[in-house]
Amino acid sequence: MGLRTILKKMKQKEREMRLLMLGLDNAGKTTILKKFNGEDITTISPTLGFNIKTLEHKGFKLNIWDVGGQKSLRSYWRNYFESTDGLVWVVDSADRLRLEDCRQELSALLLEERLAGATLLVFANKQDLPGALSKEAIKDALALDEIKSHHWCIIDCSAVTGEHLLAGVDWLLDDIAARIFTSD
Amino acid sequence: MVSNCHFVLEMLGYIWQYIYTSFLRYWLKWLLRQATGKCELQRICSGYKPGASRTTKAEYSLRSSKNKVLRGALESSKDHLEQCVDQIMKEKHVKAQIDPMFKGSLHICLLQITGYSSLYTSVEDLRKEVFLSEDPQHEAMLFKLWDLLMPEVKLESRITKQWGDIGFQGDDPKTDFRGMGLLGLINLVFFSENYTAEARQVLSHANHPKLGYSYAIVGINLTEMAYSLLKTGALKPHFYNAVQGAPELTHFHQLYCYLAYEFDKFWVAEEPESIMEFNQYREKFHNVVKTHLQDPSVCLRLTSSN
Repeated sequence: MGLRTILKKMKQKEREMRLLMLGLDNAGKTTILKKFNGEDITTISPTLGFNIKTLEHKGFKLNIWDVGGQKSLRSYWRNYFESTDGLVWVVDSADRLRLEDCRQELSALLLEERLAGATLLVFANKQDLPGALSKEAIKDALALDEIKSHHWCIIDCSAVTGEHLLAGVDWLLDDIAARIFTSD
Repeated sequence: MVSNCHFVLEMLGYIWQYIYTSFLRYWLKWLLRQATGKCELQRICSGYKPGASRTTKAEYSLRSSKNKVLRGALESSKDHLEQCVDQIMKEKHVKAQIDPMFKGSLHICLLQITGYSSLYTSVEDLRKEVFLSEDPQHEAMLFKLWDLLMPEVKLESRITKQWGDIGFQGDDPKTDFRGMGLLGLINLVFFSENYTAEARQVLSHANHPKLGYSYAIVGINLTEMAYSLLKTGALKPHFYNAVQGAPELTHFHQLYCYLAYEFDKFWVAEEPESIMEFNQYREKFHNVVKTHLQDPSVCLRLTSSN
């Protein structure tokens, strides 16, 4: 293997990003992943364990980890933190009763050392539902303005219609790329 | 080099298939008809055992026929099938006096073939029906599930953490049915009602502190497996062997029971490290089931070790 191929390999490696998608159960993580990947979203059942998808987007190779959100699985989340470039936190904007639960889980995550360098994208999902809260209301409920430790952004979206999914992911990639590939 | 060889072989395969289905098959059929005095369907019905081996061949024969009457029989409704058989016999000059078994055999084949499609339609309708807390019938089913699985314990309220004890995710099961809709709940209730001892045994394994898994959620995932196997046609050999007529919804629920019982055995035997490995073992189990379904004599029935 010549120097050129080694350099090329490193470069390829550099264009890889690892995204971790978390959130409470029934937030819509798997639906977002499948919709983004152009798959059928009508026959999804609750996630036990995790799903992983590798896809190409804007010249990056994305490894997206979608981990189940039910309470008994949350203690396993930490097994997936290592070398995460972007954290996607998915919120069911219509689930008002569990917003406080949602805020606590997120703020606990942001204290994790192994996620310290990760960019945070919050998806205020399920905007297609009649009772959905706006992204401003979600931003307040999760106290996002208090976050100083991470780059963050909140996007209102609907995994069912696909609205704003692309905008969210694009923002996330741009932010990560500006952070880790600046030497390019 | 190897891949080139592979490519050529594959091409030859396609060419052969094209020549066979467009010309050779018809000449061969004509020759055999002259030699035996029987049409292809007659030879299939007399030459193969009832079940998947016969019905799969009859289905292929009907589907690739040039005759509209024969192909049309595949789309017919249950009540018109006898008429279809009469029409086919007329088209193919089959005499009932000479081949008395033919009529009944072909009728059963057609019941099985068209029944499979209508079973898919009924299953799809149930899947699309969303679980609604406002619907008293839906709610009653949910409570029934609890009572069948946990006869000793009373539910404290409709919204309660207790649902976690039978493997729902949170304190209200309604969001867990999702893409599988009412179909997921009906399967869970059917298993608990018709195989109560087995269902409770599976639940006790699911609640094992180390090897445990979420009983209800795994059940809903297995409904998805049964549904996708039905949709792709993979379950045809099973239903053609298991039901000598049109398969009904109960036969689909029976198949779910087989999956729920067998998956539990599989999981316990494999001893996965944790529930986080679920999707790998689900895939492994899926492959085991698909391998069974390759066997023309397959019949997936729950046989209890109790």
